[in-house]
Amino acid sequence: MKNVKLLTLLLVAALALPLGVGVSSGQDEVKLVYWSMWNETEPQAQVIQSWIEAFEAANPNIDIQATWNGRQNQTLVRTALSAGETIDFVDQDADPISGGLVAEGLALPLNEYLDETALDEDMPVRDVFTPGTLDLFAVDGQVYLWPYVYNTSQFWYNKDAFADAGIEQPPATWEEFLDACQKLLDAGYDPIAAESDIQFYQIDYLTYQAVRYGGVGFLLQTLEDPTGEMWRDPIYLQAAQNMRELWDKGYIPPESAGYLWPAGQQTLGVGLAAMELVGSWLPIELANVVEGSFEWGGFNFPAMPDGAGDQNDLMVYLLSFMVVKDTEHPREIADFLKFTTTQENMQQMADEALVGVTRVDVEWAPEIADGAAAAANATAVFGMADGGVALYPELVNNILYVNWSKLFLGEITPEEFVETMVDDQAEYWANAG
Amino acid sequence: MRARTRLILTFLFPASLLYIVFFLYPALRALYTSFFDWSGFSDNARFTGLDNYRQLYRDDLFIESMSNTLTILIAGGIIVFGLAFALTILLNSGIRGRKLFRAVIFLPNVVAVIALTTMWSVAIYHPRFGLLKNGLAYLGLESWSTILFTSPQNIFKSMMAAIIWINVGFYVVLLMAGIDKIPTELYEAAKIDGANQVQMFYKITVPLLWDVITVGIVLWSINALKIFEFPFAFTALEPSPNTYTVAVYLYVMGFGQRTPIYRLGYATAMGVVLVLTVILVVIVLRRVMRREVIQY
Repeated sequence: MKNVKLLTLLLVAALALPLGVGVSSGQDEVKLVYWSMWNETEPQAQVIQSWIEAFEAANPNIDIQATWNGRQNQTLVRTALSAGETIDFVDQDADPISGGLVAEGLALPLNEYLDETALDEDMPVRDVFTPGTLDLFAVDGQVYLWPYVYNTSQFWYNKDAFADAGIEQPPATWEEFLDACQKLLDAGYDPIAAESDIQFYQIDYLTYQAVRYGGVGFLLQTLEDPTGEMWRDPIYLQAAQNMRELWDKGYIPPESAGYLWPAGQQTLGVGLAAMELVGSWLPIELANVVEGSFEWGGFNFPAMPDGAGDQNDLMVYLLSFMVVKDTEHPREIADFLKFTTTQENMQQMADEALVGVTRVDVEWAPEIADGAAAAANATAVFGMADGGVALYPELVNNILYVNWSKLFLGEITPEEFVETMVDDQAEYWANAG
Repeated sequence: MRARTRLILTFLFPASLLYIVFFLYPALRALYTSFFDWSGFSDNARFTGLDNYRQLYRDDLFIESMSNTLTILIAGGIIVFGLAFALTILLNSGIRGRKLFRAVIFLPNVVAVIALTTMWSVAIYHPRFGLLKNGLAYLGLESWSTILFTSPQNIFKSMMAAIIWINVGFYVVLLMAGIDKIPTELYEAAKIDGANQVQMFYKITVPLLWDVITVGIVLWSINALKIFEFPFAFTALEPSPNTYTVAVYLYVMGFGQRTPIYRLGYATAMGVVLVLTVILVVIVLRRVMRREVIQY
């Protein structure tokens, strides 16, 4: 009987020993769950995966489990969090995630980590970021998004076409812009490429004009007017008339009203059109369409006559990491995010994924070098629809986008656009209570 | 009797359980959700009663989406069944290669939707390089070749034409399967009695196919009312309001795209209206199409 007891004790001890070891080492093990907006085969995902592997090698107790969800990431994250699943950090376009997860109070403020010293550098992390990128979506001084990809909204153009038309310098004013369009038309080019179905491209013409005429924040202020009367400001009628002028004079070819993405931008890629107002992803999207000698340039939206805005005020599309508020490992995630932001890692993203990044001291790919210059010289940055997408997504998507698209494509007149915006916005705010 | 009841209940239990868990509960839960203002991100939902439903009637995009959906249902349905009948008659007229033609007509049904939308939006409707533009120009129809088939004025009709093209094949196969079962003696007897093709179609084919036609129309109605994939993918980067159907608009409002709307309660109200519309349409169709069953 004694032997049986002894044997039992030994057996229990033998079983408990590795268990004890496991518990002890388990306390050091940290598993971070990352849900990504990238598809696994995309170059951005591959760069992030290499960052993860390098970070794990330097921190053997940390295991980052990445799930590559693609662009529906935020929607999938919403469902998963509602179902109680553990997710520690995610990434997405800054405008939608700011209006989604951040607006819902599900993001962790990052200020204390941004005040820490950057890796291998003698300065706070926040100082390595391109100016304006951290504050763009801050709420009451709290930063919730850690941006890493920086896309600029500019006119991207074919330098050869401009040279062929005798345009020596990219236009800086609206008058010069119209003159450049006429020269391009005379030289046999379609001056401007446009898509008929992408409303968030089309709206940039209104956003930029509003910002150039009234300054950054003017369009947002207009959207916040519960009466809608601010749409009667003469700049909006002028902006709408300017838009139609581009069509009426043939600067945007009439068949563009039927171009479904990417048909419009392809005309730029094959040398028929000369420029397009769009994000700095365009040269990379058209990399397989353009000929080897194709030389890209980018210039900022021109200044408007007597406008209050600066021509260096820049609309940006940032892609950002966001830490989920309830994570148990904010320290480890912050360490990883600091790791991603080193000069070396940002340069890797710029070189391998051919995108702009959120550090000024990183060289962007030659095709989008003018985007890097615009980012470095930006006097102010603003988000989609002057920040309206993040703050008032339904108003922007269902009213502003729809009405501007009708104006853009010639379904309504500039006067009708203004009146419709006044009425629809007043009704929106009345219903919103 | 008790043993028999127990046996019935035992057999019914698995299917009933699945039905309750995967259909009835979610459906009732959706109805409940539609009374709330809820983003879906957390448990913070605000009860708003019938507000979501009231808003639907003032929402221009919802009304346009419903109008597009009903246009696909009614106009699309008439054209789909008209073409399906015409092709069925043609294929049954004794032409050579009947099976080959049937397979070709059915082919779009086995191709991925994204491939079909790309083919139509890029290869066929392209305003500069499209097959349709160049084909019309080649035929000398210069004025027609300048039509922008994907402009805001035309894009919905163009999309509907593609949807019709895809669906006709399915209903051709359905109708042909029904026609194949009609005894040939009936047609032979009719011919001897001097009936022509039109008379045989209305007096023999249609009455004996009535059950198949009814099933086909009900299937079309359900699929047309909840159509999502093709309109969603037809404009590649984001759905265009000109081609919104109720299901697409529901998705835009409930699941966020580039604009993070996330109004899951409101979107669910649309879903409830859509389900009620499907039920109503099916009930009406069943009543309208009720006929005495012909045995043969």
